[in-house]
Amino acid sequence: MKKILLSLLALLTVFTLAACGGDGSKLVIFQNKVEIGTALTTYANAWAAKNDVNVEVVTCGGDSCAYGTQILAEFQKAEQPDIFVIEGMGGYNDYKDYILSLDGEAWLTDTDLEFKVNGVAYGFPVAVEGWGMGYNKAILTAAGVDPDTLTSLAAYTTAFAAIQAYYTANNMTDYVVVSMAAGSGMEWVTGLHNFNGYLSSGLTPGDSSVIDNLNDGVVNTARLQAYADWVELLFQYSPNSILIDGTYDIQVQAFDSGKAAFIHQGNWIDPNLDEATFEIGYAPHAAAAGTNDAIFISAPSYYVINKNSDNIEEAKKFLQDLASTPEGHDYMVTKAGMVAAFKSVTLLPDGKLSRAMVEWMNEGKIYSWWQNDMPSGFGMQTLGPIYTLYARKTITKTEFIARVTTEIQDLG
Amino acid sequence: MKNLKSKILNGLFKIWVFLLSIPLVLIYVPIRGIVRQFRKIVLKKHDVKHHYQGHNRTLLALEKGALGSNETAQTNRNFIYFILAAITPYLLFVIVPFLMGIYFSFTNWTGLNTGNEIFIGFANYKNIFSSFAFAYSFYRTAIYSVLNIIFINLVAFLLALLVTQKLKLTNVYRAGFFMPNLIGGLVLGYIWQFIYRNALPSIGGILTNSLISNPDTAMGALIVVITWQYAGYIMMIYIAALQNVPTDLIEASKIDGANAWQRLRTITMPLVAQAFTIAMFLTLVTSFKQYDTVMALTQGGPATTLPQFLQNIFAAPNRTVESLNLMAINIYDSAFVRYEMGVGQAKAIIFFIILLIISLTQVYYNKKKEVEL
Repeated sequence: MKKILLSLLALLTVFTLAACGGDGSKLVIFQNKVEIGTALTTYANAWAAKNDVNVEVVTCGGDSCAYGTQILAEFQKAEQPDIFVIEGMGGYNDYKDYILSLDGEAWLTDTDLEFKVNGVAYGFPVAVEGWGMGYNKAILTAAGVDPDTLTSLAAYTTAFAAIQAYYTANNMTDYVVVSMAAGSGMEWVTGLHNFNGYLSSGLTPGDSSVIDNLNDGVVNTARLQAYADWVELLFQYSPNSILIDGTYDIQVQAFDSGKAAFIHQGNWIDPNLDEATFEIGYAPHAAAAGTNDAIFISAPSYYVINKNSDNIEEAKKFLQDLASTPEGHDYMVTKAGMVAAFKSVTLLPDGKLSRAMVEWMNEGKIYSWWQNDMPSGFGMQTLGPIYTLYARKTITKTEFIARVTTEIQDLG
Repeated sequence: MKNLKSKILNGLFKIWVFLLSIPLVLIYVPIRGIVRQFRKIVLKKHDVKHHYQGHNRTLLALEKGALGSNETAQTNRNFIYFILAAITPYLLFVIVPFLMGIYFSFTNWTGLNTGNEIFIGFANYKNIFSSFAFAYSFYRTAIYSVLNIIFINLVAFLLALLVTQKLKLTNVYRAGFFMPNLIGGLVLGYIWQFIYRNALPSIGGILTNSLISNPDTAMGALIVVITWQYAGYIMMIYIAALQNVPTDLIEASKIDGANAWQRLRTITMPLVAQAFTIAMFLTLVTSFKQYDTVMALTQGGPATTLPQFLQNIFAAPNRTVESLNLMAINIYDSAFVRYEMGVGQAKAIIFFIILLIISLTQVYYNKKKEVEL
């Protein structure tokens, strides 16, 4: 009796363990953009049928699924995703033991936005995104502001004052000059996107001197000073109802309804701009002293291939087809509504901000993204709260500079 | 007088304490084994049997073969088979991860270098004890827990008193007060975020600025939400206890001329003291572990300046912290936002020890107040 029991138990254990094994013949794509989840799954299934491969798209992102946490959990499992997403140097450093070099892939000749470390390509650009000061041309024209002049702090100061005067003169009390949120939950706008002005404004694309200094704990005092002036100006013209109490929806709604002259957001808000009938453009952030003549454009995330995958060839082919086939282009631009990072793509995006961004991109006026190269959590968890305090006027500009300085020095 | 309900509650409470004390038992058992072996060796030197008699009769009897030794051994084996079904998942999913957690807290584990982590001794713990952010989290969690325990228990007890009166529709009230507890913490957080950000400011006046954007009022706002959610649940415990207060005692006191307050203070309160022990224990533990609702409500914010006394202790002037960065959130951030799993684990261990000490102390003092009929 005892022996039967024991052997039963052993059998059970074996089955349980075997069930954890799974089969490795499925290409698993683990991605973080909820808004393209359905489109990507449809495309991937069609591709899978054509190429006789099993593909599964797993989407984890947005409010309901923390990608960073989930991907970490995925790598504790026996079966790991074959293609997954990193967002830049931070992600690369975390996962470099798992990332395959993509040197020699044909699609590399068709883009400038691949993810490289020391000249070796590792990441396939998922899309192109960018942000600047999105403007409502109707309001600017009415207030007598020419958007082309908006390249310096002085120009913005004059323009904001002119718009405010225009509102006052026409009794437009519920109109705002800048729609920007800096409260808790919006630290990604301040601590990452806005702070990128300090890291890259006025520099040539790829110039990593400021971010390298930051990671060594060195502050570029003059730059920080100029940057703080810019933050001060933005906060001054943003109403507390949005700046302190606002959420993403409130911020975007203000612009969408045509009651905000500027919005501090990227082209990803296009799908939310369903009421906007006015003309929209992008102007640069005046975050550095002197002339700022570009907006922040980059690939926000990259597909990378898991080095330990059993399906490396299939994964490479999937990425190649995405970049070079008409179906891939159609999926990226038309179905998923993204701006493709590949020159051979001739389709134009629908969104107004996306088109405005493409204009800047085609002129080659680009400032790099360095915000994802800061240590994990530094932008949102460490710097973000300082912006909130400054927005609430709990601290002065001098204290704002001092606190940012202390936090940067702590990184050294 | 002990009836079924209070027995069940008491049993539940004992299970909690048992769960918390398991790690201690796990440490104790091997030590006891070692001590016994050692004693046997020592005792053998001076003629074991003479000194050892009576200490463990069963063992002695087994050695002598006086009792039916086969039978006893059989019973023991059966016992093991029976508890195996329960103990295996418990070991797998509670004890093993707990012990692994202790190990990882002494390493530089990031969650990604699994298998390559390096043992770094107490470096993580040193790091934590010199961190003003963690100290601030503990400080805020302590304040929050104290206020939360007071508010929830006060509201719950008053509600329980209310719905045990002879009112119409008492069952409807009970269900109504209990209902918020059925809503998940995240959903609740988002609902209240809407209330605080959109609904209340539209009233105007002092509510124009959202309560959850102000570091001075955010904790109050959170306590309102948690009380609303949790008081109904605790109320149920108090109702169960209040229904056990014998009516003859109440009647007798009425005849003796005691007023409502005197009856409450000298008869009802001591008789429901057992429920206070349980309710306070539950609220203490949930307050300390508060995570989901805060996350949905304010993401740990809004920002504030580190209090002066902590600035002095840690020699960290002009630091910025987040006013609702409670301990559970702080631990999560270390582990999953900053990828410092080792530090996160160490914080979790410290958190566990603090919670263990505080809850055992609370139970010890509350137990003293209980009376039996």
